[in-house]
Amino acid sequence: MKKNLTLMFLMLVMLVGFSTMSFAQEDATITVWCWDPNFNIYAMEEAADIYKDTNPDVTIDVQEVAWEDIQTRLSTSLSANQTEDLPDIVLMQDNALIKNVSSFPNAFYDLSDSNIDFDKFADFKVELTTVDGRNYGVPFDNGAAINAMRVDVLEEAGYTIEDFTDITWEEFIEKGSDVREKTGKPLLSALAGESDLLMVMLQSTGNWLFDDSGEPYITENEALKEVIRVYQELLEKKILVQVNDWDQYISSFQSGTVAGTMNGAWIIGSIVPVEEQAGDWRITNIPRFGSIEGATNYSSQGGSSWMVMASSENPEVAADFLNQTFAGSKKLYETILPSSGALATYLPAGDSEVYNEPHPYFGGQKIYSDITDFASEVPRVKYGIYNYEARDAVSTAITQIMQGQDMMDSLEEAQSTVEFQMW
Amino acid sequence: MLNSTIKKIKSYKKGFSINKKHKMIGWFFVIPGALLIFSFYFYPIIRAFILSLQGGVGSNLRFAGLANYKRLLQDGLFKQSMFNVFIYLILQVPIMLSLALILAGILNDKTLKFRSFFRTAIFVPCATSLVSYAIIFRSMFALDGFVNTLLMNLNILGEPINWLGGAWTARLLIVIGLTWRWTGYNMIFYLAGLQNIDPAIYEAAKIDGASAWDRMTKITIPILKPIILLTTIMSTNGTLQIFDETQNLTSGGPANATLSVSQYIYRLSFEYVPRFGYAAAIAFVVFIIVAVLSFMQLKVGDER
Repeated sequence: MKKNLTLMFLMLVMLVGFSTMSFAQEDATITVWCWDPNFNIYAMEEAADIYKDTNPDVTIDVQEVAWEDIQTRLSTSLSANQTEDLPDIVLMQDNALIKNVSSFPNAFYDLSDSNIDFDKFADFKVELTTVDGRNYGVPFDNGAAINAMRVDVLEEAGYTIEDFTDITWEEFIEKGSDVREKTGKPLLSALAGESDLLMVMLQSTGNWLFDDSGEPYITENEALKEVIRVYQELLEKKILVQVNDWDQYISSFQSGTVAGTMNGAWIIGSIVPVEEQAGDWRITNIPRFGSIEGATNYSSQGGSSWMVMASSENPEVAADFLNQTFAGSKKLYETILPSSGALATYLPAGDSEVYNEPHPYFGGQKIYSDITDFASEVPRVKYGIYNYEARDAVSTAITQIMQGQDMMDSLEEAQSTVEFQMW
Repeated sequence: MLNSTIKKIKSYKKGFSINKKHKMIGWFFVIPGALLIFSFYFYPIIRAFILSLQGGVGSNLRFAGLANYKRLLQDGLFKQSMFNVFIYLILQVPIMLSLALILAGILNDKTLKFRSFFRTAIFVPCATSLVSYAIIFRSMFALDGFVNTLLMNLNILGEPINWLGGAWTARLLIVIGLTWRWTGYNMIFYLAGLQNIDPAIYEAAKIDGASAWDRMTKITIPILKPIILLTTIMSTNGTLQIFDETQNLTSGGPANATLSVSQYIYRLSFEYVPRFGYAAAIAFVVFIIVAVLSFMQLKVGDER
């Protein structure tokens, strides 16, 4: 009797299993992995709502997965050829995109022929999501670099935000040390042992750690040397302070110890929560390198893009979903911007009313249209496959240089480390 | 199902001598565990070895013979991480184990008040998560953190030390963290061992006029030798594979001065262009080093 019961139970389980399977085949479920509930996940859920109006039979399942986990899960599943557990759409950090596409060829769905109009996105973003002329990602958030500053502190020293707009690093250092002297406050903080700020500076010159043929470009890179020199001068003159971790970095400007910060536009999300400083902040473009030809006042840092997995059961549906929302819906960007500050690189959205709204926290400055303008000016660079290796090697070199080692020795070591890693 | 297997065993038993029957039953009990150990320990080790013979990036793996092992010899980062790990090993394991032994000796004293409180207090660090203690250590040893403030208020320091910024202070910090976290764990082993020593031996030694030092070196340590051996092997193994502390306290910095081998393996697999074959080769080298060190310790420590 007992045996029969077990058998019946098992059959029931199988029946339920089969019925859900056939059910799932009828309407497509698109699974999405992304991180940050206030930003990416929120935007994705809004996009799902918009798509539901026209395609009620497609369900979008948004799952929160941290970036580190996305990378580890992608790497392990793809290298083991176990793709069943992978989602249909992933959010990818721009600086890891080329690495993943070239390490796992055929793992990502080629979006070039999917009707998505890539001309509608900022140039530099499309460059970062293109590998061998094929488009693999729908550009999303805007990492255009901004120089955010406390105007009340500047005022104390007799400066305005205009004095820091369209300037060179020489002028920045001169004015910065004046501010430092008069108010005792540095204008910048950065993480020790990380190269984020240096990379912002480097990209603004239109150079990167790799040359056009993809070879490491470190010891011969005059722009990089100039960047390191300026960085050192900023440190020596105490315009820039180094902190040890991310929390200290955030609190350095939230607490008011440091009167500004330079980073991707997404850093605004960490500036605005401090209500006491409302109205004191403004943003402007970053200084440029006067001595380097082709250097600009624009750069980028961070940022991510949506990718469709080739292992997806419905890659066309996933691509169509992205096309109709992130690559085709002004409404989506108008919805997500005011509540999350999720700035996009979708250029048509820049004309929208919402983007021209003055922001009260920044004293009524129209920051969103400003940042969209910055984004269109960012120099195009190719981060390259071995970007993480090169950044780590250069970070190590910079730490050594700050500890007093000779610049050329350290850079040569970095160059040979990267060459070894690429070998 | 169960009845039929028991019947089977009984039928097997009939043809053998009592001795053999006992052995058969013994094997029967060992087999499930052995199978599990084989499939979850030995099989992955074999697969890792096969993987380590493959070269290439991402999913484009192909057989490359010993190329990965040759590559190791030229890898500056691998050498640096090996160096760091051996520094931890040489500094930390002796300090921690002698500290654990001393603490166990003190806490074994029956006349000591609040004995169980101290035991618990010293063991508690082991119950904390590796990540959370690393983060707390990092904030304690920050430039304006608790430790610097304390040392400056006590006038021991004139200027704050940038613990995380200097190569050797950062390594020292890792050693301090490891010692704090694991001393209590090893102490428990020693305490258990001490409780098995007959107090009569100590009484006899005292009557013969042996000092506390003599009792420690001539009675306690020889009797605890197998346990000391066990803890040494476990600590060596743990230190060589250290990951959480270096990742969360210093993230390998400054300038790779605290980078551990496991951390390098992680970077090679998940941060850099993935080279699983090469990462497996490094993992295998660590495995061999642990095996060799354990074997040496067994040879030195075990006199049977």
